[in-house]
Amino acid sequence: MKTTSRREFLRVASGATTGMASWLALGRAPAFAQKRELTMLSWNHFVPAADEELRRQAQEFSKQAGATVRVDTIAHLQLPAKWAAEAQSRSGHDIVHIGGAAPWLYEKSLLDVSGFIDEMGKKYGGWYPFSKESAYTDAGWRGIPWFWISFPATYNETHFKKAGVQTPKTWDELLKVGRVLKKQGNPVGIPISHCADANTTFWSVLWSYGGKVVEADGKTSAINSDKTTQVIEWYKELYKDAMEPEVLSWDDASNNRFILSGKGSWIHNPISPYNAALAKKMPIADEINHHTSPGGPGGTHSAPPIQTLGIWNFSKNAELAKDFLRFHFKKENFDKWIVASNAFNHPPLRDLADHPIWSRNPKFAMLPGEAEFAHPRGWPAKPNAAVSLIDVNYILPDMVAKAVGGMPTKRAIAWAEEQVKLAIQGKLETKGKS
Amino acid sequence: MAVGQRAIEAAGTGVARPGPLARAREWWEQEHVFGYGLILPALLLIVCLVAYPFGMAIYFSLSDYWVGSPGNFVGLENFRDILGNEVFQRTVYNSFVFTSIAVAFKIVLGVWLAMLLFRNFKLKRLIRGAVLLPWVIPTALSTLAWWWMFDSLYSVVNWTAIRLGIISPPGPNWLGMTEYAMAAVIAVNVWRGLPFFAIIVLAGLVSIPREYYEAAEVDGASSWGRFRHVTLPLLKPVLAVVILFSTIFTFSDFNIVYVMTRGGPVNTTHLFATLAYQVGLNGGNLGQGAAISLFLFPMLAAVVFLQLRYIRKE
Repeated sequence: MKTTSRREFLRVASGATTGMASWLALGRAPAFAQKRELTMLSWNHFVPAADEELRRQAQEFSKQAGATVRVDTIAHLQLPAKWAAEAQSRSGHDIVHIGGAAPWLYEKSLLDVSGFIDEMGKKYGGWYPFSKESAYTDAGWRGIPWFWISFPATYNETHFKKAGVQTPKTWDELLKVGRVLKKQGNPVGIPISHCADANTTFWSVLWSYGGKVVEADGKTSAINSDKTTQVIEWYKELYKDAMEPEVLSWDDASNNRFILSGKGSWIHNPISPYNAALAKKMPIADEINHHTSPGGPGGTHSAPPIQTLGIWNFSKNAELAKDFLRFHFKKENFDKWIVASNAFNHPPLRDLADHPIWSRNPKFAMLPGEAEFAHPRGWPAKPNAAVSLIDVNYILPDMVAKAVGGMPTKRAIAWAEEQVKLAIQGKLETKGKS
Repeated sequence: MAVGQRAIEAAGTGVARPGPLARAREWWEQEHVFGYGLILPALLLIVCLVAYPFGMAIYFSLSDYWVGSPGNFVGLENFRDILGNEVFQRTVYNSFVFTSIAVAFKIVLGVWLAMLLFRNFKLKRLIRGAVLLPWVIPTALSTLAWWWMFDSLYSVVNWTAIRLGIISPPGPNWLGMTEYAMAAVIAVNVWRGLPFFAIIVLAGLVSIPREYYEAAEVDGASSWGRFRHVTLPLLKPVLAVVILFSTIFTFSDFNIVYVMTRGGPVNTTHLFATLAYQVGLNGGNLGQGAAISLFLFPMLAAVVFLQLRYIRKE
């Protein structure tokens, strides 16, 4: 056994101590033991192939960058709790899939990505207007718009031809053609019930008539207005003359069934019924077509679901995270991801939206253009928790349901105003200051 | 000290000192240690799965806790807010209508079904087992089937009724009209809860001695008289327990309403659990959500208290 001299021991020990101290001070593992690992949190995509493609890109990037990129996916309803936990403990993933009010709620925990936004905007023909509305807070860009889901009108060409009517460009025209179509036995359908589509369509119609639910400050109710009255009167007419009472009990899949059954002539929905008809080789696929979401005196507007990415400002791999997103947003990679999602994921950048999956199919050609008039819910206010409460409590469709059920329009609006005020009650301001 | 003393005695009498294993066993086998040891797993489960969430719910209900942000203590503000909200008031009303009608149907039909099952007939065991099916299948699944039967476009219920000439086409839009939607969710709740009721009542029936019936027959009691004066009084304790359970289950129902109507049309079928879920989890307002669900607690506590007192008196 080799004996260690006292001098030698001291030398080794002090070296080790200094090394240890600097390691502790830096708060990270020594370089030789560290391989950079980038982590990303996302939802389980409705089209699972999109997640597979994202993971494939992560692997490819890992090889190039000499790092490991891990993509974790969880059920979409669990995301908000995960953001909360990560922001509170200031640890977790580097890149997170956020949306809705999250850029505002986590303003102080999210990295400013303005540079990245400028760079991508210049490279790919600019961001669609909704991008800024859904990710730009008073402090700057706190999110990177990732994709959105189009919400056009879906109609049955055969029924329209038989009735001798054109596709409606405005909601008013929809009422006119709807009257003819219902007489023919093919009513139109917009849900007035507790489902997500009922919210989405109401926002579109209200905005198209120039109305709003909350003022731009996000704290003042704006629902009690002539515009809302007009919208409700329109809904009442449509319900009476162009729809059937079944819309009061619809869920998110009911309008799909309604159009696929061959009975319905027109719905407001993502392209899922058409895709389902194609996938199941239903003959009705040939009769189904899409057209741009209708507008009104206040212009054309729609409220499609918008998805965003954020980078935590406590991430130790912020630069690597941006590099990975640069890689993902490269045209060739983003294209593959769109294809994997079966045209479900619409890009927020103009040049990326120029993709044959839409342009070569005449029934899809108008879809990317829907981005021009898309807004996050609550617009002109920023998305906030009150707006999401208004949505999940179905206040807007309930207001319409009350009115079509016989409650005087004024009273229905007064009811909704009270509910909106309850949703925006003062205590929301304290949110997200952590 | 018992262990120590025994050890000394053992040493004194010259017997070998017990090993550590034996001593541990001796300690374990003492009544107060062993008894609590047996309860411990159950206690841990209750603390972790019942007491802790309950405590958290109380804490949440007194704070403005939102998903994603630490809350501040706000006292009873949440309770004040929801009490003043029309949607919550409607929910309270719905819950009472739903529970009272559903439980009433379950009592009448449950006793009736139990009497039928009590008789001797072919395949008695098989049918008694089959009757339990609605209770056994996962509610979310069976309710989906019901939801489909009440669907606006493909309603089997309407199709059958129209073919039988009971109603005129197109028939009611079950889940889109206030009274019909409530009737639909109550019907499904009764369908689901009935077997539980019937089987427990059946157990009660089996335990009634035959002699009473024979004596009643000798006295010339009619079948209604036998039911009224023999069966019913002797079933009372069992009925009280089963009504107690059924009331609790019905009051706190979630699946049926959530799957079939999501509280619609216009909140006319919302129950405490579905509204709490909508506000607390979907809306992220944990404070109010917790406050809504806590409203169940005093009401159920009152039901339990009254029922238990009644049972004890009996």
